[in-house]
Amino acid sequence: MKRIRLFLYISLLGVVSVCAQNKQLLYDFVEIPQSLMVNPGVKTSEKWHTGVPFISGLAFQAGTSGVTVNDLFANDGIDFTTKVRERVLDAMTHRDDFSTTSQIEGFNVGFRGKNRPDDYYSFGIYGETDIIVYWPRDLAILAFEGNGGANIGRNFDLGDVSLRGEMINVFQFGVNRKVSNTLTVGARAKLYSSVFQFQSIGNSGSFRTTQGQDNIYVSTITADMQLQTAGVKEIFDILDDDSRSAREELPLLFAKRVLFGGNLGLGFDAGFSYNLNPQTTITASILDVGFIYQSKDLQNYTLRGSASTEGITVFLPEDINNVNNDLWQDLVDDIEESLPFEENSESYISLRPVKAYGSIRYDFGEGGNGFDDCYCSIYRDGGSNRDFYPNSVGGQLYMIKRPRGIQAALTGFYQRRFGRVLSLKGTYTVDKYSLTNIGLGLNLQAGPINFYVLADNLLSYRNVANSHYASLQFGFNIISWNGN
Amino acid sequence: MKRLFLRLLTGSALFCILLSCSEEQDFDQFDDLSITPTVASSVFYLESDEETINAVPAGPFYYQTVNFDAFNEEYVAERLLEGTMIYEIENTTSKRLQIGIEFLDEGGNVIDVELFSIEPNLPETFTREVAYGPTGKSLNILTATDGLRISGNNQSDTNSVSNASEPKVILRSAAEFLFRLK
Repeated sequence: MKRIRLFLYISLLGVVSVCAQNKQLLYDFVEIPQSLMVNPGVKTSEKWHTGVPFISGLAFQAGTSGVTVNDLFANDGIDFTTKVRERVLDAMTHRDDFSTTSQIEGFNVGFRGKNRPDDYYSFGIYGETDIIVYWPRDLAILAFEGNGGANIGRNFDLGDVSLRGEMINVFQFGVNRKVSNTLTVGARAKLYSSVFQFQSIGNSGSFRTTQGQDNIYVSTITADMQLQTAGVKEIFDILDDDSRSAREELPLLFAKRVLFGGNLGLGFDAGFSYNLNPQTTITASILDVGFIYQSKDLQNYTLRGSASTEGITVFLPEDINNVNNDLWQDLVDDIEESLPFEENSESYISLRPVKAYGSIRYDFGEGGNGFDDCYCSIYRDGGSNRDFYPNSVGGQLYMIKRPRGIQAALTGFYQRRFGRVLSLKGTYTVDKYSLTNIGLGLNLQAGPINFYVLADNLLSYRNVANSHYASLQFGFNIISWNGN
Repeated sequence: MKRLFLRLLTGSALFCILLSCSEEQDFDQFDDLSITPTVASSVFYLESDEETINAVPAGPFYYQTVNFDAFNEEYVAERLLEGTMIYEIENTTSKRLQIGIEFLDEGGNVIDVELFSIEPNLPETFTREVAYGPTGKSLNILTATDGLRISGNNQSDTNSVSNASEPKVILRSAAEFLFRLK
């Protein structure tokens, strides 16, 4: 029962969400130290910063490219089964997905090298949960309508099953270097400590019932499918065992795994910022190029083979002496032998979802008095352009590698700085989830105290239940420039 | 500083709460979801040539009991709403035949019978559809079926030979069942 409840919970997480991990508001928002996490080559100006532990960076994203909560559960008097049929079965394709991502920073610290002031070092820990479930369209139709009636002759694609999820803890250390007045580069090494991971990707196969060669119908199934899990079995064992206390044991298990007690992996980020001219900057970064070697607490399932049946068949005179009463069971056994469902505990490598950003920014406007006396740069001979140009406008491209290919998002943004105290960034983003995603970010600097909040898809706040995408990030930091 | 944190946090939360709203949602609707797939599958196929029928004395040329618990599996029996058994028979032999399918319960008792009296040299395929459920026979027949007894009887002589090129009798059968998954 606990297992079913957990499954429903995870499913619900999927249904209320679809997200990308796009952080278009945070990207190149240099006033926020966490922008280093989406581009290790971003321009840095602070002497040091430290995030307030556990509230320096919290990010939650969720979305759905298909049906929304409101589509199904609005109190509109329409029959629920009709809504499911029209808005889910008839409307969604196998490319639609439900996904959710959350990140919580344990801590994040950065400091400038004493002997090499052009280098800015940063390190920290954050936890991340990322789940994506593609809509298994053909299997859903098979469950809803069956293989009979109008579906005789229909090919059900078993490759529609595609999902991946994981919870990890990341230990990271990055170096950001100002190479020249026009170029800043950076890289970040990551050590992944996995809590759990599951994936069912690269599946193929089909199920079809057609007119038989001998009998009325022939049902044929061909499958090459697998589900790999690591770290899941022990969690279910605790949940299933009534003699064990999930409330006590699960936190201990999770704590052990986030501190290198689970499966481990390595990865890196890299990025740069380059000034084409004093007012134009291009940036790019690539994140989470890495893997986790899954070797502990494994439970994998495979379904590989092909089988075809026309029921029990008897040909006379060939079978005249076959007086076996178990023809039906023999048939079932033959199918299971041709299409074995097996378990194994083989190790596997899971790849992190690689992300890439790119942007071009044009700075303009007069800084005025608010910028004249700012303590905003450690560089005496020319601080960041933004210290003098209060306005920025530009575009960003985001891409992420997903099980069914690369998903992309395009963002246009405008940023306005009011001295060092306040900075606002507005974005308009187009991706597979939304064509009306307007976001707003606010960064507030009160002395050394830094607070930021970034919210996406603001138009959806009119009816959150009808939103295809939602994201919220916020956090607190303490920042120092020079002697301040 | 603590006060500043709290103010900013509260302000942000209030900002989001004040801005956001949602139409009324009724999650109890999920209870009304109805999932009733139709599952189709062949069940039994029997084919015999005329030579085999002639090779044994008039009367039964085939008699076989097979265990068949596909219908009374708990998962199936609990969810079965209605069903149709489809039978097709071709006979190009010179024999008048009687084909019988008996549905047996766990104790081997006959709980239903389908009998087919087939004329020799049938010009076209004979088809019979038997409904189970609200508009047909009792569903209990299917859900209690644990075995099938299939028999073929030759009600003619054992000498005659059909003019057809490959005279044979064929019994085809399939089931289409409607289930309630939810």
